Amino acid sequence: MKETNEAMQEVRAVCDAAAVAEGEVLRVEADGMPPLAVYKLDGNYFVTADTCTHGEASLSEGFIEGGAVECPWHNGKFCIRTGAALDFPATVALQTWPVSVIEGKVCIPIQPAAGTPPASNKGTTCRAN
Amino acid sequence: MSTTAETTPQAQAATTVRIAGGPSYSCAPGDTVLRAGLRAGFGLPYECNAGGCGSCKFELIAGSVEDLWVEAPGIRAKERERGRRLGCQSVPRGDCEVKIRLADSYVPQCLPRRFEARYICSRAVTADIREFDFLAPGAASFLPGQYAMLRLTGGGPERAYSMSNQPNAQGLWRFMVRSVAGGKVSTGLFALEAGAEVSIDGPYGIAHLRPTPQRDIVCIAGGSGLAPMVSVINGTLAQPAQGGRDVWLFYGGRGPGDIPRIEEFIHPHPRVRFHPAVSVPELAQGTTWTGEIGMVHELLPRKLPHALADYEYYLAGPPPMIEAVVGTLQTDHGVAAQAIHYDRFF
Repeated sequence: MKETNEAMQEVRAVCDAAAVAEGEVLRVEADGMPPLAVYKLDGNYFVTADTCTHGEASLSEGFIEGGAVECPWHNGKFCIRTGAALDFPATVALQTWPVSVIEGKVCIPIQPAAGTPPASNKGTTCRAN
Repeated sequence: MSTTAETTPQAQAATTVRIAGGPSYSCAPGDTVLRAGLRAGFGLPYECNAGGCGSCKFELIAGSVEDLWVEAPGIRAKERERGRRLGCQSVPRGDCEVKIRLADSYVPQCLPRRFEARYICSRAVTADIREFDFLAPGAASFLPGQYAMLRLTGGGPERAYSMSNQPNAQGLWRFMVRSVAGGKVSTGLFALEAGAEVSIDGPYGIAHLRPTPQRDIVCIAGGSGLAPMVSVINGTLAQPAQGGRDVWLFYGGRGPGDIPRIEEFIHPHPRVRFHPAVSVPELAQGTTWTGEIGMVHELLPRKLPHALADYEYYLAGPPPMIEAVVGTLQTDHGVAAQAIHYDRFF
Protein backbone atom coordinates (compact mmCIF):
# COMPACT_ATOMS: atom_id res chain seq x y z
CA MET A 1 0.00 0.00 0.00
CA LYS A 2 1.58 3.28 -1.04
CA GLU A 3 1.26 6.37 1.09
CA THR A 4 3.30 9.50 1.36
CA ASN A 5 5.16 10.73 4.41
CA GLU A 6 5.64 14.27 5.63
CA ALA A 7 8.43 14.85 3.12
CA MET A 8 6.04 13.71 0.37
CA GLN A 9 8.16 10.68 -0.39
CA GLU A 10 6.27 7.62 -1.44
CA VAL A 11 6.46 5.08 1.34
CA ARG A 12 5.41 1.52 1.77
CA ALA A 13 4.24 -0.28 4.88
CA VAL A 14 6.48 -3.06 6.12
CA CYS A 15 4.60 -4.19 9.21
CA ASP A 16 2.04 -3.25 11.84
CA ALA A 17 3.51 -0.98 14.48
CA ALA A 18 1.79 -3.06 17.12
CA ALA A 19 3.66 -6.14 15.94
CA VAL A 20 6.94 -4.82 17.34
CA ALA A 21 7.18 -4.87 21.13
CA GLU A 22 9.15 -2.24 23.01
CA GLY A 23 12.82 -3.16 23.12
CA GLU A 24 12.33 -5.94 20.61
CA VAL A 25 12.98 -6.55 16.93
CA LEU A 26 10.88 -8.11 14.21
CA ARG A 27 12.16 -9.63 11.00
CA VAL A 28 10.14 -8.55 7.97
CA GLU A 29 10.38 -9.81 4.42
CA ALA A 30 9.11 -7.32 1.86
CA ASP A 31 8.95 -7.85 -1.89
CA GLY A 32 11.93 -6.60 -3.79
CA MET A 33 13.92 -5.81 -0.66
CA PRO A 34 16.48 -7.63 1.43
CA PRO A 35 15.15 -8.95 4.75
CA LEU A 36 14.50 -6.08 7.16
CA ALA A 37 14.74 -5.76 10.92
CA VAL A 38 12.17 -3.47 12.55
CA TYR A 39 12.99 -2.28 16.08
CA LYS A 40 11.10 -0.34 18.71
CA LEU A 41 13.27 1.64 21.15
CA ASP A 42 11.72 4.03 23.67
CA GLY A 43 8.61 4.26 21.55
CA ASN A 44 10.51 5.02 18.34
CA TYR A 45 10.72 2.66 15.40
CA PHE A 46 13.85 1.95 13.40
CA VAL A 47 14.52 -0.18 10.35
CA THR A 48 17.83 -1.71 9.33
CA ALA A 49 18.82 -4.53 7.04
CA ASP A 50 18.29 -7.81 8.86
CA THR A 51 21.33 -9.57 7.42
CA CYS A 52 24.54 -8.89 9.30
CA THR A 53 27.24 -7.30 7.13
CA HIS A 54 29.82 -9.69 8.60
CA GLY A 55 28.07 -12.95 7.76
CA GLU A 56 24.68 -14.37 6.92
CA ALA A 57 23.17 -14.11 10.38
CA SER A 58 19.73 -12.66 10.99
CA LEU A 59 20.08 -9.72 13.36
CA SER A 60 16.48 -10.12 14.48
CA GLU A 61 17.72 -13.24 16.32
CA GLY A 62 20.31 -11.11 18.06
CA PHE A 63 20.55 -9.31 21.36
CA ILE A 64 19.40 -5.72 21.87
CA GLU A 65 20.95 -3.52 24.52
CA GLY A 66 21.74 0.17 24.83
CA GLY A 67 20.42 1.13 21.41
CA ALA A 68 22.56 -1.49 19.69
CA VAL A 69 21.86 -4.88 18.19
CA GLU A 70 24.39 -7.67 18.68
CA CYS A 71 24.67 -10.32 16.01
CA PRO A 72 23.98 -13.82 17.34
CA TRP A 73 26.81 -15.43 15.38
CA HIS A 74 29.96 -13.49 16.30
CA ASN A 75 28.74 -10.69 18.61
CA GLY A 76 29.34 -7.92 16.09
CA LYS A 77 27.42 -4.84 17.24
CA PHE A 78 25.53 -2.21 15.26
CA CYS A 79 23.84 1.03 16.22
CA ILE A 80 20.14 0.55 15.60
CA ARG A 81 19.55 4.23 14.97
CA THR A 82 22.32 4.78 12.38
CA GLY A 83 23.38 1.29 11.32
CA ALA A 84 26.99 2.11 12.23
CA ALA A 85 29.24 -0.83 13.06
CA LEU A 86 30.13 -0.44 16.74
CA ASP A 87 32.02 -3.54 17.76
CA PHE A 88 34.24 -6.21 16.27
CA PRO A 89 33.85 -8.13 14.06
CA ALA A 90 31.27 -5.79 12.56
CA THR A 91 33.09 -3.24 10.42
CA VAL A 92 30.66 -2.41 7.64
CA ALA A 93 27.58 -0.37 8.51
CA LEU A 94 24.07 -1.71 8.07
CA GLN A 95 21.78 -0.11 5.56
CA THR A 96 19.02 1.85 7.32
CA TRP A 97 15.74 3.42 6.24
CA PRO A 98 13.98 6.45 7.70
CA VAL A 99 10.74 5.43 9.36
CA SER A 100 7.32 6.97 9.47
CA VAL A 101 4.31 5.44 11.19
CA ILE A 102 1.15 6.00 9.22
CA GLU A 103 -2.21 4.64 10.32
CA GLY A 104 -0.58 2.15 12.64
CA LYS A 105 1.88 0.81 10.08
CA VAL A 106 5.65 1.16 10.10
CA CYS A 107 6.54 2.68 6.72
CA ILE A 108 9.79 3.30 4.87
CA PRO A 109 10.45 5.21 1.64
CA ILE A 110 10.15 3.26 -1.59
CA GLN A 111 13.68 4.35 -2.53
CA PRO A 112 16.11 3.01 0.10
CA ALA A 113 18.39 5.55 1.78
CA ALA A 114 21.49 4.38 3.59
CA GLY A 115 23.15 5.29 6.83
CA THR A 116 21.35 8.38 8.08
CA PRO A 117 19.26 8.70 11.20
CA PRO A 118 15.58 9.55 10.63
CA ALA A 119 15.68 13.11 9.34
CA SER A 120 12.21 13.94 10.50
CA ASN A 121 9.50 12.13 12.38
CA LYS A 122 7.14 15.06 12.40
CA GLY A 123 3.50 14.23 12.33
CA THR A 124 4.02 10.61 13.26
CA THR A 125 3.41 8.72 16.44
CA CYS A 126 7.21 8.36 16.89
CA ARG A 127 9.12 11.09 18.62
CA ALA A 128 12.82 11.55 17.93
CA ASN A 129 14.87 12.08 21.11
CA MET B 1 23.96 -23.79 40.50
CA SER B 2 27.37 -23.02 39.09
CA THR B 3 30.73 -23.94 40.52
CA THR B 4 34.20 -22.54 39.96
CA ALA B 5 36.64 -23.68 37.32
CA GLU B 6 38.76 -25.65 39.77
CA THR B 7 36.12 -28.14 40.97
CA THR B 8 35.33 -31.30 39.09
CA PRO B 9 32.22 -31.50 36.91
CA GLN B 10 29.24 -33.47 38.06
CA ALA B 11 28.56 -36.12 35.41
CA GLN B 12 30.49 -39.33 36.14
CA ALA B 13 29.41 -41.10 32.98
CA ALA B 14 29.27 -40.07 29.37
CA THR B 15 26.23 -38.01 28.43
CA THR B 16 24.46 -37.47 25.15
CA VAL B 17 24.09 -34.04 23.59
CA ARG B 18 21.33 -33.79 21.02
CA ILE B 19 21.34 -30.89 18.58
CA ALA B 20 17.75 -29.89 17.87
CA GLY B 21 16.91 -30.91 14.33
CA GLY B 22 20.36 -32.40 13.95
CA PRO B 23 22.73 -35.10 15.12
CA SER B 24 23.51 -36.36 18.62
CA TYR B 25 26.93 -36.97 20.06
CA SER B 26 28.47 -38.45 23.13
CA CYS B 27 30.18 -36.20 25.68
CA ALA B 28 32.79 -37.79 27.95
CA PRO B 29 32.71 -36.90 31.66
CA GLY B 30 34.23 -33.45 32.16
CA ASP B 31 34.24 -32.58 28.49
CA THR B 32 32.46 -29.50 27.19
CA VAL B 33 29.51 -29.22 24.84
CA LEU B 34 31.79 -27.59 22.27
CA ARG B 35 34.76 -29.93 22.37
CA ALA B 36 32.74 -33.11 22.50
CA GLY B 37 30.88 -31.99 19.39
CA LEU B 38 34.12 -31.21 17.57
CA ARG B 39 35.60 -34.56 18.64
CA ALA B 40 32.58 -36.23 17.07
CA GLY B 41 33.34 -34.42 13.84
CA PHE B 42 30.53 -31.84 13.87
CA GLY B 43 30.98 -28.23 12.80
CA LEU B 44 30.13 -26.33 15.98
CA PRO B 45 31.12 -22.66 15.65
CA TYR B 46 33.88 -21.41 17.95
CA GLU B 47 37.05 -19.37 18.01
CA CYS B 48 38.99 -18.97 21.25
CA ASN B 49 37.90 -21.98 23.36
CA ALA B 50 38.54 -19.79 26.41
CA GLY B 51 35.23 -18.05 27.15
CA GLY B 52 36.27 -14.71 25.67
CA CYS B 53 34.87 -14.40 22.17
CA GLY B 54 31.29 -15.65 22.45
CA SER B 55 31.39 -17.47 19.12
CA CYS B 56 30.33 -20.78 20.67
CA LYS B 57 27.06 -19.50 22.17
CA PHE B 58 24.21 -21.99 22.07
CA GLU B 59 20.71 -22.29 23.49
CA LEU B 60 20.10 -24.93 26.13
CA ILE B 61 16.68 -26.40 25.42
CA ALA B 62 16.61 -29.34 27.83
CA GLY B 63 18.91 -30.72 30.47
CA SER B 64 21.46 -29.02 32.67
CA VAL B 65 25.07 -27.97 32.23
CA GLU B 66 27.73 -26.89 34.66
CA ASP B 67 29.24 -23.50 33.91
CA LEU B 68 33.02 -23.60 34.16
CA TRP B 69 33.39 -19.82 34.29
CA VAL B 70 30.37 -17.83 35.42
CA GLU B 71 32.08 -14.51 34.69
CA ALA B 72 33.21 -15.46 31.20
CA PRO B 73 33.13 -12.24 29.19
CA GLY B 74 31.88 -13.92 26.03
CA ILE B 75 28.25 -13.94 27.20
CA ARG B 76 25.98 -11.55 29.09
CA ALA B 77 23.85 -12.24 32.13
CA LYS B 78 20.75 -11.36 30.09
CA GLU B 79 21.69 -13.93 27.49
CA ARG B 80 22.10 -16.56 30.19
CA GLU B 81 18.64 -15.67 31.48
CA ARG B 82 17.34 -16.52 28.03
CA GLY B 83 18.94 -19.94 28.15
CA ARG B 84 22.13 -19.13 26.24
CA ARG B 85 25.41 -20.68 27.29
CA LEU B 86 28.98 -20.79 26.02
CA GLY B 87 29.77 -24.15 24.46
CA CYS B 88 33.38 -24.02 25.56
CA GLN B 89 32.42 -23.43 29.20
CA SER B 90 29.50 -25.84 29.53
CA VAL B 91 29.89 -29.37 30.90
CA PRO B 92 26.71 -31.48 30.72
CA ARG B 93 25.36 -32.75 34.01
CA GLY B 94 23.19 -35.24 32.14
CA ASP B 95 21.74 -35.70 28.67
CA CYS B 96 21.01 -32.34 27.02
CA GLU B 97 19.23 -30.91 24.05
CA VAL B 98 20.73 -27.81 22.49
CA LYS B 99 20.10 -25.44 19.63
CA ILE B 100 23.34 -24.84 17.72
CA ARG B 101 23.89 -23.68 14.17
CA LEU B 102 26.36 -26.10 12.56
CA ALA B 103 28.56 -24.93 9.69
CA ASP B 104 30.84 -26.84 7.34
CA SER B 105 33.66 -24.34 7.88
CA TYR B 106 33.95 -25.49 11.50
CA VAL B 107 34.05 -29.24 10.82
CA PRO B 108 37.47 -30.25 12.17
CA GLN B 109 39.87 -31.58 9.55
CA CYS B 110 41.94 -33.07 12.38
CA LEU B 111 39.72 -34.36 15.18
CA PRO B 112 40.81 -32.93 18.55
CA ARG B 113 41.77 -35.40 21.25
CA ARG B 114 43.16 -35.37 24.78
CA PHE B 115 46.53 -36.95 25.44
CA GLU B 116 49.65 -36.73 27.59
CA ALA B 117 52.94 -35.42 26.23
CA ARG B 118 56.47 -35.37 27.55
CA TYR B 119 58.54 -32.18 27.76
CA ILE B 120 61.78 -32.51 25.78
CA CYS B 121 63.53 -29.13 25.64
CA SER B 122 63.01 -25.44 24.95
CA ARG B 123 64.81 -22.50 23.40
CA ALA B 124 64.64 -18.73 23.70
CA VAL B 125 62.66 -16.78 21.11
CA THR B 126 62.64 -13.28 22.62
CA ALA B 127 63.30 -11.77 26.03
CA ASP B 128 60.15 -13.34 27.51
CA ILE B 129 59.06 -15.97 24.97
CA ARG B 130 60.42 -19.52 24.78
CA GLU B 131 59.64 -22.30 22.35
CA PHE B 132 58.83 -25.64 24.00
CA ASP B 133 59.02 -29.14 22.48
CA PHE B 134 56.70 -31.91 23.65
CA LEU B 135 56.58 -35.49 22.42
CA ALA B 136 53.35 -37.51 22.40
CA PRO B 137 52.60 -41.04 21.21
CA GLY B 138 51.42 -41.29 17.64
CA ALA B 139 51.48 -38.70 14.92
CA ALA B 140 51.00 -35.00 15.64
CA SER B 141 48.02 -34.10 13.43
CA PHE B 142 47.03 -30.50 13.04
CA LEU B 143 46.84 -27.77 10.43
CA PRO B 144 49.44 -24.99 10.38
CA GLY B 145 48.05 -22.08 12.39
CA GLN B 146 46.03 -24.15 14.85
CA TYR B 147 46.43 -24.27 18.63
CA ALA B 148 46.04 -26.74 21.49
CA MET B 149 45.06 -26.45 25.14
CA LEU B 150 47.86 -27.21 27.60
CA ARG B 151 47.38 -28.14 31.23
CA LEU B 152 50.11 -28.90 33.79
CA THR B 153 50.07 -32.25 35.59
CA GLY B 154 48.16 -32.00 38.84
CA GLY B 155 45.27 -30.03 37.47
CA GLY B 156 44.85 -26.31 37.37
CA PRO B 157 43.74 -24.16 34.49
CA GLU B 158 44.52 -24.81 30.87
CA ARG B 159 45.70 -22.28 28.31
CA ALA B 160 45.69 -22.18 24.56
CA TYR B 161 49.04 -22.14 22.74
CA SER B 162 49.58 -22.26 19.00
CA MET B 163 51.77 -24.88 17.38
CA SER B 164 54.82 -23.38 15.71
CA ASN B 165 55.93 -26.55 13.93
CA GLN B 166 54.41 -28.64 11.13
CA PRO B 167 52.20 -31.73 11.49
CA ASN B 168 54.53 -34.73 11.72
CA ALA B 169 54.67 -38.47 12.20
CA GLN B 170 57.05 -38.31 15.17
CA GLY B 171 54.49 -36.80 17.56
CA LEU B 172 56.33 -33.51 18.12
CA TRP B 173 54.15 -30.63 19.38
CA ARG B 174 56.00 -27.32 19.53
CA PHE B 175 54.61 -24.19 21.16
CA MET B 176 55.78 -20.66 21.88
CA VAL B 177 54.93 -19.53 25.40
CA ARG B 178 55.23 -16.02 26.79
CA SER B 179 56.24 -15.79 30.42
CA VAL B 180 53.44 -13.92 32.19
CA ALA B 181 54.06 -12.49 35.67
CA GLY B 182 51.84 -14.53 37.97
CA GLY B 183 50.69 -16.67 35.10
CA LYS B 184 49.62 -20.05 36.42
CA VAL B 185 50.42 -22.04 33.32
CA SER B 186 53.34 -20.13 31.80
CA THR B 187 55.17 -20.11 35.14
CA GLY B 188 54.78 -23.87 35.37
CA LEU B 189 55.90 -24.41 31.79
CA PHE B 190 59.01 -22.31 32.25
CA ALA B 191 59.88 -24.45 35.30
CA LEU B 192 59.41 -27.84 33.63
CA GLU B 193 62.13 -30.45 33.89
CA ALA B 194 62.94 -32.69 30.96
CA GLY B 195 60.63 -35.71 30.91
CA ALA B 196 57.81 -33.99 32.81
CA GLU B 197 54.33 -34.65 31.47
CA VAL B 198 51.67 -32.19 30.45
CA SER B 199 48.12 -32.74 29.21
CA ILE B 200 47.32 -31.58 25.71
CA ASP B 201 43.89 -31.24 24.12
CA GLY B 202 43.82 -30.37 20.48
CA PRO B 203 44.10 -29.31 17.79
CA TYR B 204 41.65 -26.44 17.70
CA GLY B 205 41.46 -23.26 15.69
CA ILE B 206 39.86 -21.89 12.60
CA ALA B 207 42.63 -19.51 11.54
CA HIS B 208 44.63 -22.28 9.89
CA LEU B 209 46.40 -22.18 6.57
CA ARG B 210 44.10 -22.37 3.57
CA PRO B 211 45.08 -23.38 0.07
CA THR B 212 44.77 -20.16 -1.93
CA PRO B 213 47.23 -20.62 -4.76
CA GLN B 214 46.26 -17.37 -6.48
CA ARG B 215 46.85 -15.05 -3.56
CA ASP B 216 50.03 -13.96 -1.85
CA ILE B 217 50.02 -14.21 1.92
CA VAL B 218 50.36 -11.53 4.58
CA CYS B 219 50.93 -12.62 8.18
CA ILE B 220 50.53 -10.06 10.96
CA ALA B 221 51.34 -10.92 14.55
CA GLY B 222 52.31 -9.60 17.95
CA GLY B 223 53.72 -11.38 20.99
CA SER B 224 53.34 -15.15 21.01
CA GLY B 225 51.20 -14.76 17.90
CA LEU B 226 54.50 -15.45 16.18
CA ALA B 227 53.99 -19.21 16.67
CA PRO B 228 51.04 -19.77 14.34
CA MET B 229 52.62 -17.48 11.76
CA VAL B 230 55.82 -19.52 11.78
CA SER B 231 53.70 -22.60 11.23
CA VAL B 232 51.62 -21.01 8.46
CA ILE B 233 54.68 -19.68 6.63
CA ASN B 234 56.75 -22.83 6.87
CA GLY B 235 53.64 -24.77 5.90
CA THR B 236 53.21 -22.63 2.80
CA LEU B 237 56.82 -23.03 1.76
CA ALA B 238 56.61 -26.80 2.20
CA GLN B 239 53.66 -27.20 -0.15
CA PRO B 240 54.77 -27.40 -3.77
CA ALA B 241 51.16 -26.82 -4.86
CA GLN B 242 51.32 -23.38 -3.27
CA GLY B 243 54.58 -22.63 -5.01
CA GLY B 244 55.13 -19.18 -6.31
CA ARG B 245 53.23 -17.39 -3.56
CA ASP B 246 55.03 -14.53 -1.90
CA VAL B 247 54.78 -14.27 1.87
CA TRP B 248 55.10 -11.24 4.13
CA LEU B 249 55.45 -11.41 7.89
CA PHE B 250 54.75 -8.22 9.82
CA TYR B 251 55.65 -8.67 13.47
CA GLY B 252 55.24 -6.06 16.16
CA GLY B 253 56.68 -5.76 19.63
CA ARG B 254 57.22 -3.03 22.16
CA GLY B 255 61.01 -2.92 21.91
CA PRO B 256 63.93 -4.62 20.14
CA GLY B 257 64.03 -7.31 22.85
CA ASP B 258 60.62 -8.46 21.63
CA ILE B 259 61.82 -9.14 18.11
CA PRO B 260 63.18 -12.64 17.43
CA ARG B 261 66.03 -13.70 15.15
CA ILE B 262 63.48 -14.84 12.64
CA GLU B 263 65.96 -16.86 10.57
CA GLU B 264 66.13 -19.33 13.47
CA PHE B 265 62.45 -20.17 12.96
CA ILE B 266 61.78 -19.49 9.29
CA HIS B 267 64.63 -20.38 6.96
CA PRO B 268 65.60 -17.41 4.80
CA HIS B 269 63.74 -17.79 1.55
CA PRO B 270 63.51 -15.44 -1.44
CA ARG B 271 59.72 -15.47 -1.26
CA VAL B 272 59.51 -14.54 2.43
CA ARG B 273 59.92 -10.98 3.67
CA PHE B 274 60.14 -10.13 7.36
CA HIS B 275 59.15 -6.64 8.54
CA PRO B 276 59.40 -6.17 12.29
CA ALA B 277 58.38 -3.00 14.06
CA VAL B 278 58.73 -1.76 17.63
CA SER B 279 56.05 0.47 19.04
CA VAL B 280 57.87 2.17 21.92
CA PRO B 281 60.60 4.46 20.52
CA GLU B 282 62.28 4.88 23.91
CA LEU B 283 63.04 1.15 24.02
CA ALA B 284 64.90 1.40 20.72
CA GLN B 285 67.08 4.31 21.78
CA GLY B 286 70.67 3.38 22.55
CA THR B 287 70.31 0.02 20.78
CA THR B 288 71.42 -1.13 17.36
CA TRP B 289 67.81 -1.25 16.15
CA THR B 290 67.57 -0.12 12.54
CA GLY B 291 64.10 -1.49 11.88
CA GLU B 292 60.75 0.27 11.76
CA ILE B 293 59.28 2.16 14.65
CA GLY B 294 55.50 2.30 14.90
CA MET B 295 52.50 0.03 14.75
CA VAL B 296 52.77 -3.02 12.55
CA HIS B 297 49.69 -2.40 10.46
CA GLU B 298 50.99 1.02 9.43
CA LEU B 299 53.67 -0.78 7.43
CA LEU B 300 51.26 -2.61 5.16
CA PRO B 301 50.52 0.05 2.55
CA ARG B 302 54.21 0.97 2.40
CA LYS B 303 55.64 -2.51 2.05
CA LEU B 304 53.06 -4.41 0.02
CA PRO B 305 53.39 -3.91 -3.76
CA HIS B 306 49.77 -4.67 -4.62
CA ALA B 307 46.42 -3.41 -3.43
CA LEU B 308 45.83 -4.71 0.07
CA ALA B 309 42.62 -6.38 -1.07
CA ASP B 310 44.64 -8.75 -3.26
CA TYR B 311 46.22 -10.66 -0.36
CA GLU B 312 45.18 -13.47 1.99
CA TYR B 313 45.69 -12.49 5.63
CA TYR B 314 46.58 -14.48 8.73
CA LEU B 315 46.61 -12.66 12.07
CA ALA B 316 47.38 -13.75 15.62
CA GLY B 317 47.91 -11.91 18.88
CA PRO B 318 46.16 -9.68 21.42
CA PRO B 319 42.48 -9.02 20.64
CA PRO B 320 42.78 -5.21 20.50
CA MET B 321 45.59 -5.44 17.94
CA ILE B 322 43.71 -7.92 15.78
CA GLU B 323 40.43 -6.06 15.95
CA ALA B 324 42.09 -2.79 14.99
CA VAL B 325 43.94 -4.33 12.05
CA VAL B 326 40.95 -6.30 10.75
CA GLY B 327 38.81 -3.17 11.00
CA THR B 328 41.35 -1.18 9.00
CA LEU B 329 41.77 -3.89 6.38
CA GLN B 330 38.03 -4.16 5.80
CA THR B 331 37.00 -0.54 6.15
CA ASP B 332 39.96 1.31 4.62
CA HIS B 333 41.27 -1.23 2.13
CA GLY B 334 38.23 -3.23 1.10
CA VAL B 335 39.66 -6.61 2.10
CA ALA B 336 36.93 -9.26 2.05
CA ALA B 337 36.14 -10.92 5.39
CA GLN B 338 36.70 -14.33 3.76
CA ALA B 339 40.31 -13.41 3.02
CA ILE B 340 41.12 -12.68 6.67
CA HIS B 341 41.85 -15.50 9.16
CA TYR B 342 42.47 -14.40 12.71
CA ASP B 343 43.14 -15.97 16.07
CA ARG B 344 42.52 -13.64 19.00
CA PHE B 345 44.52 -14.58 22.07
CA PHE B 346 42.02 -14.07 24.87
